[in-house]
Amino acid sequence: MSSLTRQLAGTPWLQGVKDAIPLLGGYIPVAISFGLISIQSGFSVLETILISTFIYAGASQFLFVAMAASGAPLWLVVIMTLLINARHIVYGPNLAPYLNDDKRWIPLMHGLTDQIFALAHARLPLLPEKERLGWYTGAAALAWFSWIGGTALGAIAGGELTQRWPLISEVLPFALPALFLVLIVPRCTSLLWSATIALSAVTALILKITGYPNMAIPLAAISGAVLFYALKNQHFLGEH
Amino acid sequence: METSMWLALISIALGTYLLRLFPYLWMKGALMKKQVEGGINAMPSWITILGPMMIAAMFGTSLAPAHLDTVSWLATAAGTLATFAVWARTRSMGLPVLCGVATFGMIMLWH
Repeated sequence: MSSLTRQLAGTPWLQGVKDAIPLLGGYIPVAISFGLISIQSGFSVLETILISTFIYAGASQFLFVAMAASGAPLWLVVIMTLLINARHIVYGPNLAPYLNDDKRWIPLMHGLTDQIFALAHARLPLLPEKERLGWYTGAAALAWFSWIGGTALGAIAGGELTQRWPLISEVLPFALPALFLVLIVPRCTSLLWSATIALSAVTALILKITGYPNMAIPLAAISGAVLFYALKNQHFLGEH
Repeated sequence: METSMWLALISIALGTYLLRLFPYLWMKGALMKKQVEGGINAMPSWITILGPMMIAAMFGTSLAPAHLDTVSWLATAAGTLATFAVWARTRSMGLPVLCGVATFGMIMLWH
């Protein structure tokens, strides 16, 4: 290993990039699908890439192109997509205690997706304060560029790619549940947390497979939180 | 793309960014105001509980296979177990994810 490589290996942003690599398995196949669907809905390659660059929120992007293609009123398209993204309001406050007063955090909030939040929520508390900005920048940049790159790939060659390598879209996305599992398991520190986390996960899964994918995350999380409050004074559950 | 569509795109992009930024700025301001050491104690408890619940819910939704058939469910269960087993041994992030995807993929391919 060269001295430059050794030096880079110790930098926080590179650690952030390394920690975010499992996200690629989920991001790139979904981004390719989005690129393909956006082109099929009548958007150009450039427009498709700009949607991923600036909206940068998976579910709402799919809704945006689908509603726009169906001729829905644009004010309704805007409201519906923002409603789907309303779950993001919980993310910034949860990370705020771990972020310093550096103004660069303000533009970096663009990168605060579901997955980056989950990753940062687990990793930032473990890092020294001076390394957090670099770590987050590396992780968020890798995720953002992979989303944009995957979208471009899908817009330009999505049809051929998914025909030739169907496993890209079938196997790699399992990286996301695997990553979320690794991020959430350490939170199961008592019977109370384990039970409420399990309820949230199972509720979300049921909502997703019964046809409510957009409501699944907020509704399931609220169910888990309600159960947490209902049970938190039960001492046998191990919460103090 | 027509002007109205561009306006919709800009509105959604800006709105999404502000949904991510404003709550952070609000909490940062509240934490500074309270000047509490180890600021997490100044946060409303519902926020600190809802955060992990959101991650658990993301885990749940991401578990749903693309095709709801027996093999996909079997692969999902095996992949989840493999991820957990490797995490329990290594307490790391990369290797458990890799083993989980490999197990999931092998069952899907075997089928």
